[in-house]
Amino acid sequence: MPTTNSQNSPQAAIETRGLTKRFGERTAIDGVDLYVPRGSAFGFLGPNGAGKTTMIRMLLGLTRASAGSMSLLGRPVPRERAQALERVGAIVEEPRFHPQLSGRENLKIVAAVRGPHVAERIQPALERVGLAERADDKVRKYSLGMRQRLGVARCLLADPALLILDEPTNGLDPGGIQEFRLMIRSMVEQEGRTIFLSSHLLDEIEKICDAAAIVDRGKVITQGPIAELAGGGGARHELLLTVDDVELALGALAGSDLVRDLVREDGGLRVILDGGPESAAELNARLVHAGVGVLRLEPVRFSLEQRFLEITSRLDGNVEAMEVHA
Amino acid sequence: MSAATIAAQMTGADLLKLRKKRGTVIWAVVLAVLPLLVFFIFRAVQHSSEPAQHGPAGGISGFTDALRAVALFFGPLAAILIGVEAGAGDSSAGVFRDLVVTGRSRLALFATRVPAALALCWAVIGAAYAVLVIGTFAFASGSPDPSAATILNGLGFTLLATGVICAVAVGFSSLTASRPTALTVLIGWQLVASPILASISSLGSSRKALLSQALVGFSPVHVSDRAGTIAMSHGLAIFVIAAWLAVLLGLGAWRTRTMDT
Repeated sequence: MPTTNSQNSPQAAIETRGLTKRFGERTAIDGVDLYVPRGSAFGFLGPNGAGKTTMIRMLLGLTRASAGSMSLLGRPVPRERAQALERVGAIVEEPRFHPQLSGRENLKIVAAVRGPHVAERIQPALERVGLAERADDKVRKYSLGMRQRLGVARCLLADPALLILDEPTNGLDPGGIQEFRLMIRSMVEQEGRTIFLSSHLLDEIEKICDAAAIVDRGKVITQGPIAELAGGGGARHELLLTVDDVELALGALAGSDLVRDLVREDGGLRVILDGGPESAAELNARLVHAGVGVLRLEPVRFSLEQRFLEITSRLDGNVEAMEVHA
Repeated sequence: MSAATIAAQMTGADLLKLRKKRGTVIWAVVLAVLPLLVFFIFRAVQHSSEPAQHGPAGGISGFTDALRAVALFFGPLAAILIGVEAGAGDSSAGVFRDLVVTGRSRLALFATRVPAALALCWAVIGAAYAVLVIGTFAFASGSPDPSAATILNGLGFTLLATGVICAVAVGFSSLTASRPTALTVLIGWQLVASPILASISSLGSSRKALLSQALVGFSPVHVSDRAGTIAMSHGLAIFVIAAWLAVLLGLGAWRTRTMDT
């Protein structure tokens, strides 16, 4: 994950430094440093009550930060909040609308507030989210999934460089979730937008996002590309080996500079590499050179869920059990 | 594109929200128009059954009574309904934060509520006033009619009284951000507290601070309410009205600008 010492990096869609929010004695967000690169889908992952929505509300100026600094699309907030939010679309918690108005009328309200030419984007936005045919129905007749899509259409009125979505798939059925994922990914890959997506659903973050930050009790525990996070933050790479002679293999690898740790497992070996994934080839060559027949060499894919459960402080007691399952 | 154009666009959007709030519009029309219809019909029936006991429903006498009803009693209730919806509608529907995240200034979001509320309020009150004028002439039965100047002044007075109360309702409901709270407090004030305070003579000239007392002074005909009218100069009445508007709209703007959403 790139980092920068300069405030308001033009490469950052979101950048925060020491961002803090206190409610009386309680600290909801505690000195968060966050870097969200442009053009990616970034997950903000944490259990319920971790401070995700509070963080989003601060970024959008819905509540004031107690301390720290932040910028959106390179502009400091709240000093240049209006300019920053011109190209930002957001759904905070569940999308809400005036139920007595149609979907199209609800978008007209926001278009009028956003500016003079924004009304031209209403129809394309409705078509983009697949609501054009139901646009003139009253919103009170919409399902939750349709309201979520209308919420995205409302975001699109800004032609957003950055979309901030707070638990966007809450309440959607599996079909709706899948549809939503595809839409988000196409916005990143085909339209070059940045998505900042908060969720307590690991699976959702893993399937949608390129990178993520894991937050718990108001603190960002770690952040980086999904693969690195899953690998342990320090890019832990592991291999499962099946060999014809375990003892010979243990002898060949003991003390090797390629190996950080080595354990027997299910008739084979689990090897934690000291280097990157490329050292697997070198390790294989050394085993063969030592006369060991390598029947299987398989990189271990960690899931974000395993990593999440490892580092979330409230589950400390279960970490060891999780590692055994891994 | 000028700021005025954007303001007009935002006001139009606020008016759209209000117009489509059918329950509020229907109740406002019912409150403003129905009592006048009942008043004229009831008085006409009374007059036709006992002409010696009861004067004509229309004419200057009917005009005065109906003006009191629309400008000081039922019209303000309609104005409160509309003002409260304009002030607290976005917060109650949970969409205020979606407007805030557009980056538009919160003060601008607040400011456009007032003209939108006034536009709808005056449309409803205008319809009621039309009923009032028609009833005044239709049921005059030979009694003196109000002059054109009196009718126009009466319209101005009615629009002033309901407009001020509507704006106050926008400010107060923006302050509370709650429709039920704002409606309860404002209707309670308008129907109960204000008349009671006006009737307590021991309060003396401090009663001049009551909004209803300041407004009554602008009526073209004598429309004192049941508590009577406390005489005050137009200058003082304008000051009292301006103070009510400044305080309530100021508080509403402050709350809109600072509240967490």
